Amino acid sequence: MSVRIDLFKGFQFKYRETIVHKLDPRTKGLYVIICTIIALMYTSPIPILLTFITSIILVLLSRVTKEWIGTMKSIALLSIFIFIVNYFTAPYEKLNFAVTMTLRLLTLTSTFSVFFLTTSPEDFSLALLKLGVPYEYTLIFNMAIRFVPTLARDLQTVIDAQKSRGLELEKGNIMQRIRRMIPILVPLLVFEIKRSIMIAEALEARAFGALKNRTYYYEIRMKKIDWILSVIMVLTFVILIVLQLMNILPEWFYWRIPM
Amino acid sequence: MIAIEVKNLYFAYSAEEYVLKNINLIVNEGERVAIIGENGAGKTTLIKHFNGLLKPTKGYVKILGKDTRRHSVAELSRHVGIVFQNPEHQFFAETVEKEVAFALENFGYPKDEIEKRVNYILKYFDLQKYRDKSPFNLSEGEKKRLAIASILVYDPEILVLDEPTTGQDAIQKRKIAEIIKRLSEKGRTIIVVTHDIEFVVELFDRVIVMAEGRIIADGPTREVITNYEIIKRARLLPPQINICARLLEDLGIPSNIITVSELVEEITKVYER
Repeated sequence: MSVRIDLFKGFQFKYRETIVHKLDPRTKGLYVIICTIIALMYTSPIPILLTFITSIILVLLSRVTKEWIGTMKSIALLSIFIFIVNYFTAPYEKLNFAVTMTLRLLTLTSTFSVFFLTTSPEDFSLALLKLGVPYEYTLIFNMAIRFVPTLARDLQTVIDAQKSRGLELEKGNIMQRIRRMIPILVPLLVFEIKRSIMIAEALEARAFGALKNRTYYYEIRMKKIDWILSVIMVLTFVILIVLQLMNILPEWFYWRIPM
Repeated sequence: MIAIEVKNLYFAYSAEEYVLKNINLIVNEGERVAIIGENGAGKTTLIKHFNGLLKPTKGYVKILGKDTRRHSVAELSRHVGIVFQNPEHQFFAETVEKEVAFALENFGYPKDEIEKRVNYILKYFDLQKYRDKSPFNLSEGEKKRLAIASILVYDPEILVLDEPTTGQDAIQKRKIAEIIKRLSEKGRTIIVVTHDIEFVVELFDRVIVMAEGRIIADGPTREVITNYEIIKRARLLPPQINICARLLEDLGIPSNIITVSELVEEITKVYER
């Protein structure tokens, strides 16, 4: 349980006055996309490692090191698992394959973590909106994030109420334990469904969906720095692809771990 | 005998701040005590210590002599029944009957005993006609009564109610008051967290006032709730009848009146003079 909560913390936004936080979410989104492509495109460790290093630089710049370490710790076990499984299932170049796959997981987690640690959910949905996602969907996303702590609190309340009626969650074998979840899950589910209906009514009472085109009080804007960084990133990526296609990248770039 | 003993209790959810600070409290068996105070004062946090849902960070809580740090919630719940504010946070069974039987099953009562007790409590709470209905189909007042019934069915020595009158109409409130009175006559210890000052005046001889995680007053109801300084700190209003009495102070009416009949009596005296 604690592992999953830590992972969640690693994606929880907290505002800080840093250059990374101030960037437009689309710039950071572009970064995540490019990193993802690179991490998935290569099967040798060096390019993925370089990508990983860029994410660490961003972590340091945005001063979210503590939260980032939390996220990385929470996937430590999974990384070891992936390493072992790949090592024993790869047909050849076992070590190279295992290292690359593990690095991939670390890099993807790290870049996504940086994105969500430095981008508020509101900004994220505003960016989605700019990319043409309908407002209804971005609102769902926003509310989902907003209601995670509420849900956790409701869960605790239900657990408290049932424990007060003598329900023992820790006792018994697996089947008994699963059966004991019913008194927890039923009230929670009913309660949350009722809550969602109430929220829908409250939204409608505030004229949600009255007009096809709504206005926005707060909007995100690409600033000069965003354009510069975006151009640099796209250029780097394009050059990398071109060099790759022309086959003139240096040898060490493709270095594979022997064995 | 002492029902609840709280000594130097401090409690913190996280390392940063204590939610409860130096709580000292003794409740004797058979007492009726109301806990009042503004939202976030720590009232619910305090009552969660009474059946071990929360364990003290510092200090101790003893229930009928049992230290809550050394007993499980299930063990302590046999003696302390807590009814939480929102009944819907606990309903899960298909029928009212099963809902009421839940605690008895958990505590390992034999089948015939469960049947006997369920029959008795449903009658006691006037819920027999809903026996085979879903708890979710009851009215708000009935839900509240069912929640109380589902605890009282195993007859705990100490009953704790968290805001039992919130959202209840006058008739339901009357019924809850009735239940509390009858239990008290049976010698049960009753603790109620509430914002309803009229309810407090009617039913409780002793009031505990909490603010910012501390107990700021603990004493006889009349004394505590006519102390405007305390009432203000708890962000409550004194009973209207007391406000009225104070406005009539010039006529020689005492300022510590808390019930309607007292005021009527005093006004009659003034007329007779």
